[in-house]
Amino acid sequence: MSAVAGERKQRATAHIVVAIASIVLVLVCLFPFAWMAVSSIKKLPELFTVPPHWLPEEPTLANYWTVLFSSNIPHYFLNSVIISVGATALALILAVFAAYGFARFEFQGKAFLQSFVLVGQLLPTAAIIVPLFITLRYLHLINTYWGLILVYMIITLPLSVWMLTSYMRGIPVELEEAATIDGASRLGVLFRITLPLSMPGVVAVVVYSFVTCWNEFVFALCFAQDASVKTLPIGLSEFSTEFNTDWGGVMAASMVMTLPVAFLFLAFQRLFVGGLTAGATKG
Amino acid sequence: MARQRPSVPRRMERTEEAMGRPSVGLYFILPAMIVLAMLIAYPVVYTGYLSAVDVHGHLTGKNYLNVLRPAVTRQAFFNLIYYVGGSIVFQVILGTLAAILLNQKFWGRSVVRSITLIPWVVPGIVAATTWAWMFHTEFGIINYMLTGPGLLKAPIGWLTDRNTVMPVLIAINVWKLFPFVAIMVLAGLQAIPADLYEAAKIDGAGFWEEVWYITLPQVRPVLVAVTLLLVIWGLNAITLIYAITGGGPANLSLITPIQIYQLAFQSFQFNEAAALSVLFFLVAAIIVAIYIKVIPSNAEAAK
Repeated sequence: MSAVAGERKQRATAHIVVAIASIVLVLVCLFPFAWMAVSSIKKLPELFTVPPHWLPEEPTLANYWTVLFSSNIPHYFLNSVIISVGATALALILAVFAAYGFARFEFQGKAFLQSFVLVGQLLPTAAIIVPLFITLRYLHLINTYWGLILVYMIITLPLSVWMLTSYMRGIPVELEEAATIDGASRLGVLFRITLPLSMPGVVAVVVYSFVTCWNEFVFALCFAQDASVKTLPIGLSEFSTEFNTDWGGVMAASMVMTLPVAFLFLAFQRLFVGGLTAGATKG
Repeated sequence: MARQRPSVPRRMERTEEAMGRPSVGLYFILPAMIVLAMLIAYPVVYTGYLSAVDVHGHLTGKNYLNVLRPAVTRQAFFNLIYYVGGSIVFQVILGTLAAILLNQKFWGRSVVRSITLIPWVVPGIVAATTWAWMFHTEFGIINYMLTGPGLLKAPIGWLTDRNTVMPVLIAINVWKLFPFVAIMVLAGLQAIPADLYEAAKIDGAGFWEEVWYITLPQVRPVLVAVTLLLVIWGLNAITLIYAITGGGPANLSLITPIQIYQLAFQSFQFNEAAALSVLFFLVAAIIVAIYIKVIPSNAEAAK
C-alpha cells in the first residue's frame, strides 16, 4: 500500500516539475516576441516611460503605418522576396540533379565530391567575403539581385544536396527499375518517379533554403550596399543603428519581417523538422 | 559514417545495371559542382593569393605582419573563443534538458514543441534588435524587471558595461540556438528503443539514472554532430554582435569575423583582410579537425 502511495506521490511531483518546466520554457521562448508585439503598438512617449507599462494605454497602429508607407521597408521586403525565391529555386534545380546523381550512381571521385559538398556546408563564410566581393565586382554583380542570388547558393546548395540525397536513397530502386524496363528514359524516371516521391524532402529543402536566405545578414551587408537591392535584415539594422532609434518603428518592422517566416514554418513544421533531423539520426 | 557503408554497394551495383554506364552520374552532379567550385573553391584559393601580395601584385609577407601585430587581433580572437565556447556549453546543456522535457508525455506537448523552435526560426537580426531593446539601459524591460523587486539597486548598462557585454551577448546567442539542439536531441531520443528503458525500470533505475546511463550514451552521436555544427555557426556568427554592439564598447565584443569585415569594407585593406581570413580559416579548420579526431575516439574509449 505505502509503496503504491509513494509511487503515486512521485508521479504527482513529476507532473508538477514537467508543468513548471514547460511554462518556463514557453515564457523564455515567447517573451521577446510578446514584448516586440507590445512595443510595436505603443506610442513614442509611452515607449520612453519609466517604469515601462506592460500593456499600451493607447494602442496605436501608427508605427506600422510609418513602416509600411513612409520607409524603405516595403521595398526591402520585395528585394528579400525576389532574392530568397531566386536563390531557393536555383539551388533546388541544381540540387535535384546532383542528389539524384549521388543517390543512384557509382562513379570515380564520388566520395571526394560528396565530402566537397559537406565542406561547403562547414566553410566559415566570413573567410571568403573578401574574394567573393572582388569576384562579384569583376563580374559587375555587386548591388544586383543576381549577385546575391548567386552568393546565396553557397549557403543553400550544399545542404539542399545533402538533404535530398539522403531522402532519395530512402526511395526503393525497384520502382525505377520497373519504369526503366517499361522504356522510360533516365530523366523521365527522375521527373516522373523519383521526384514526385521525394516531395516531402523537396518541401523541407525549399523551406530551409528560403528561411536561410530570408534571414541572411553578412553577405547582404557586404554585397548589397545600394538601397535598390538591400534586403530586409540590412534595412532593419539601419533602422536601429541610427542615432535616435525609433524603437516603435523597429519593433513594427521586426514583426513585418518575422511574419512570413513564422507562417512558412508553422505551415510546414513537420516536414521541415523531419527533413532536418533525418540526416542527424541516420548518421 | 564509414562503418555503415557496407550495405550500400550491393544496391548500387543493381542500380548501375538498371541505369547504364557508371559515369552518367557525373552529368547529374556536374552543374551543382561547377557552381560550388566557382563560389567556394575559387574564392578560397584567391584569398590565399590576395593575402600574399601587395596592392601592386608583388609577393609580400607584410599583410600577415600588419594583421598579427596589433593587439586588437588577439583580443578579437580571444573574444571569439570566449563567445563560441561559452555559448556552446549552455546551448548543449539547455538544449538537451529541453529535449528531455519535450520527450515526456504531457498535455499540450506538441504546442510547446512548436513554440520552443521559434527563437531558432526567427531572423537573427530580429532577435538582435528585440533583445537590444529589452536590454536598453533606461527604458529596457529587463532592468525594470530586476530593479522593480529589488534584485538590482540601480539599472545596469548591460551592453555598455565591460563586465556584462559578453555574457549578455552569449546569453542571447544561447537563447537563439538552444532550440536547434533541442529538436536534434529530441529526434535522437525518439529513436531510442523503449525496451532499454523498460529493462532499466526492472533494474530499479530512477529518472536521472536513466538519463545518465541510457539517454545520454544513446544520443551521443547526435550531440557530437550538433556540437560540430554549433562550433561552425559560432565561428561564423556576425549578425547578433554586429547588430547589437558593432564590436563595442572599445572592441570588448569585437570578434574576428567582424574584424575581417571592418578591415575590408571600412578600411578597404583587402589584402590585409585576406591575410586575416586565411589565418581565421586555418584556425577554424584546425578546431574542426581536432574536434572530429578527438570526439569519436573518446566515444569508442567510453564503450
